[in-house]
Amino acid sequence: MADLQKLYEAVLNGDNKTAVAVTREALAENADPIELIQKYMIPAMAEVGKRFECEEYFVPELLLSARAMKGALELLRPLLAERGAEPTGRVVIGTVKGDLHDIGKNLVASLLEGGGFEVTDLGADVPPEKFVDAVQARNANVVCLSALLTVTMPAMRTTIEALKNAGLRDRVKVLVGGAPVTPQFAKEIGADGYGENASVAVNLARDMVKASSHA
Amino acid sequence: MNCRERVLTALAHREPDRIPMDFGSTAVTGMHVTCVAALRQHFGLERRPVKVQEPYQMLGLVEADLQEAMGLDVEGVFPRKTMFGFPNEGWKEWRFHGVDVLVPRDFNTTVDEKGDLLIYPEGDLTAPPSGRMPAGGFFFDTIIRQRPIDEARLDPAENLEEFQPVSAEDLAHFRQAAAAARATGRAVMANFGGTAFGDIALVPAPFLKDPKGIRDVAEWYMSTHTRRDYIHRIFDRQSEIALQNLEAIYGVVGDQVDAVFLCGTDFGTQTSSFCSTATFRELYFPYYRRLNDWIHRHTPWKTFKHSCGAVERFIGSFIECGFDILNPVQCSAAGMEPAHLKSAYGDRLVFWGGGVDTQKTLPFGTPAAVREEVLGRCAVFSRGGGFVFDSIHNVQARTPVENLVAMIDAVREFNGNK
Repeated sequence: MADLQKLYEAVLNGDNKTAVAVTREALAENADPIELIQKYMIPAMAEVGKRFECEEYFVPELLLSARAMKGALELLRPLLAERGAEPTGRVVIGTVKGDLHDIGKNLVASLLEGGGFEVTDLGADVPPEKFVDAVQARNANVVCLSALLTVTMPAMRTTIEALKNAGLRDRVKVLVGGAPVTPQFAKEIGADGYGENASVAVNLARDMVKASSHA
Repeated sequence: MNCRERVLTALAHREPDRIPMDFGSTAVTGMHVTCVAALRQHFGLERRPVKVQEPYQMLGLVEADLQEAMGLDVEGVFPRKTMFGFPNEGWKEWRFHGVDVLVPRDFNTTVDEKGDLLIYPEGDLTAPPSGRMPAGGFFFDTIIRQRPIDEARLDPAENLEEFQPVSAEDLAHFRQAAAAARATGRAVMANFGGTAFGDIALVPAPFLKDPKGIRDVAEWYMSTHTRRDYIHRIFDRQSEIALQNLEAIYGVVGDQVDAVFLCGTDFGTQTSSFCSTATFRELYFPYYRRLNDWIHRHTPWKTFKHSCGAVERFIGSFIECGFDILNPVQCSAAGMEPAHLKSAYGDRLVFWGGGVDTQKTLPFGTPAAVREEVLGRCAVFSRGGGFVFDSIHNVQARTPVENLVAMIDAVREFNGNK
């Protein structure tokens, strides 16, 4: 029998090899993929987020845990689709046009996946129309925009405007983040939230999806 | 006081006649080439294309006439080659965001199908490109060229390709450049290279045609945790080479240099840090101490550490391992309040930066807001010396020239219009 506690620990400790091996073993034994995610992987990533917030974990540890989680998730994803599992929410994420920096965005994307979200990662240097297309195609309810540069921050505004012009703005919550971004800037450009780090962004996305599903 | 005396007085933690100011002596205290062009126009200087002195961030050369107009006190000595591995010479005309500029001869670019500008290591158009500027962008980012990693065959020598004994050509260059810099009467800041440990801008090696070893940014960060021994072996050998090079360079530039840019590795993020203080002390501290100790034993040079972000937790260690100067002093990051930094560390560490925020105030604020912030920072940081005015990192493209002028005027105002 696969020791599933080891999956929790492997994700928490950023041990990709063990995370993949335990997941493979569990699947061979017909374990329920939804249970693996909900009982072991989501709690592990939640603990990773907590440790990051209280500065016990830093970027390297976060990257390692995200990689372990992704390794396991890659094995589980096809099975989830088969079972028609409902994600926590559907997120479209990307670094805005003109900006090639993606480490922060990648961390947010990984933590969102670890939080049970279905994540469509559009990569870096993403033009507004690509966000619009992806929101429509994926039926997303959250859009996450990242920027590292002062010169690319204005592209967050144009992306939000593009969502408005496409008639999608009321359908999605927009979260923004990145080094030069502030809560005040988020407000000015009409975003719904600002995540000062990856862990905060995930909590915010979760709260927003919950609130909108209750609305 | 002349410019150099002013800077040396500040570096000795005494108050000079006025606050010394630096723009352009390093690749982290510079200005985007379009801003240099705008300032030249503002001051009515001779109309001529500005040289792109640092093509990675597209920083403009601040020439003597602009230094004079701005009241700058520091002259930089730069390596012979750029971040993309080609010599900084043989200037040719280029047009960039509507501005005529000059770029080095081997600044060779192509445009891809998205309209992005690609640049090539050593200017070699047959090699894979190593830098990309998005269409309409203002500077390059590194293109990651990471070969698949075979754990069993990882060899630190592959990550040491760029750390070589300084060549006779480089020594001749430094000798000439240091002498020319000293002749300006300004304090001399030298950028010799080879002394940054794990600087994430340099790890991907945009200057190499075919980098090997660990070159991917995320992989490198993870390696500081999972391949600690490998990183130690790189740093250990790198520091041995660096010490030999520093000795050779000191032999040709001697006391003509006043301060040396040692390392630009960023340890801070906006709200936290990239590692714990325990990791810093275990992984980086010994190598910094080795270089700083040698420099302080053998030269009069002050040493300059650049790290963006929230680095308050490391400052005690920076001082303990021998750094004299901290830059850019990112006051907007967590725990980096100016008054706290000055009172806790100001007697032992020179703050070279911290003058005005380049994420918000300088690019997006009003001239009045710029003035207010600059006056406030000058009041806090200048007390008892130990302060060289500089914005917090490079002045970014699109910064309004009125704000730059407001910044310069505010420093002058604080200095009693001296």
